[in-house]
Amino acid sequence: MRFYFVLFLLVCGLASSAPAQERPYFVTYDHHLEEPGNLEIATASTVRVPRDGQPAYIAPWIEIEYGVMTRWTTELYLEGISTRNDSTIWTGWRLENRFRPLRREHWINPILYFEYESINEASGIQKEVVGNAEISNESNADLRREHAHEIEAKLILSSTVRDWNISENFIVEKNLSEDEGFEFGYAFGVYRPLASLASGRNCRFCRENFSAGAEVYGGLGSTNGFGFKDTAHYFAPVLAWQVSENSTLRFSPAIGLTDVSARALMRFGYSYEIRGFGDRVARLFGASR
Amino acid sequence: MRLMMNRRLILILTVLAAISTATAQNTAYQQDPGWKPPADAASKPNPLHDRPDAVAGGQKLYRRHCAECHGPAGEGLKKAADFRLLAVQQQTDGTLFWKIKNGNPDRGMPSFSRLPELQRWQIVLYLRQLAPQEKSSQ
Repeated sequence: MRFYFVLFLLVCGLASSAPAQERPYFVTYDHHLEEPGNLEIATASTVRVPRDGQPAYIAPWIEIEYGVMTRWTTELYLEGISTRNDSTIWTGWRLENRFRPLRREHWINPILYFEYESINEASGIQKEVVGNAEISNESNADLRREHAHEIEAKLILSSTVRDWNISENFIVEKNLSEDEGFEFGYAFGVYRPLASLASGRNCRFCRENFSAGAEVYGGLGSTNGFGFKDTAHYFAPVLAWQVSENSTLRFSPAIGLTDVSARALMRFGYSYEIRGFGDRVARLFGASR
Repeated sequence: MRLMMNRRLILILTVLAAISTATAQNTAYQQDPGWKPPADAASKPNPLHDRPDAVAGGQKLYRRHCAECHGPAGEGLKKAADFRLLAVQQQTDGTLFWKIKNGNPDRGMPSFSRLPELQRWQIVLYLRQLAPQEKSSQ
């Protein structure tokens, strides 16, 4: 307990005003990486509004993102799930890394994404949708016994066109614990800030603090059966509001497009950015500015 | 006697202020000769050049995105450029805009392409407000 209190104080002590400037997407990635030395702590949840026969749940997660270098961002996820008329359990963790191979901005900017997941089958955050949809009525107690070590890769392509961000993600995932073949998925998104020019005053409700758009994502089967059969797909408007200099709220109601999709996925999140975190930690250990 | 003391105090404070101003400059900063925009990008004019009302927004954006490394007055910290130097101020608006957009991975300068284009031009507008010093980079 004392450790967490000290950790909390350390983070607060190291915090300084910083712009969040978060993308509003929940699933799609664009080509913008975390600035080097910045730490972002985010909490978000996915609430499943089920179709008949599916259980409702809320799956919260914590996301710790750090800009290692200008072209390398790393991120740790800790996730859980709370299912109606069942239980609340820990579902695992994920570690992802994003690399930007090109030095300059181009018409299309590629990002290479690699992730390792140590999760159990109860995981419900749906950070990405891949493969075929699995409708399970097993209890969390049963699902948590099925552990999955998965690796995932994404090719992220992203462009900026007249303040619009246009992103395409192509996903391939492999479960190392079971022979499910390679699973595929996609995510496409567009968004833009609601104002192009920044006003001179510090305001909370200025249009420049909001960005909005939409994303679509879904599974594409696997090497055992590629295509749209029995796959979940979602269309999701997205909205982000930079509440203060260093924090952003995000919201996205995703609508299920196929019979095996959930009726809806309501997603909401809050992120807080600590600028210069790496430098501040280094200075604690005697490094000069 | 008291007058003498006051004069001496003022003299000491003036010298200290001069020293702190001089040392506040980032003398470690050296331009990266390989960090140059293509000619068409360098010659782009600032579409906000006749919009002095946009400077305040540029200042706000500068404080949010640039001041951490370049200092609150543009003096440059660590390896970041001192915006008051003539070597920086002599660069075209298009050059500064291109550098903000692309960043320089070799020097730890991130890309700010996530900002809307006009906001990047607002930052360029504000950079012009930072008084140039009569010292060029090494």
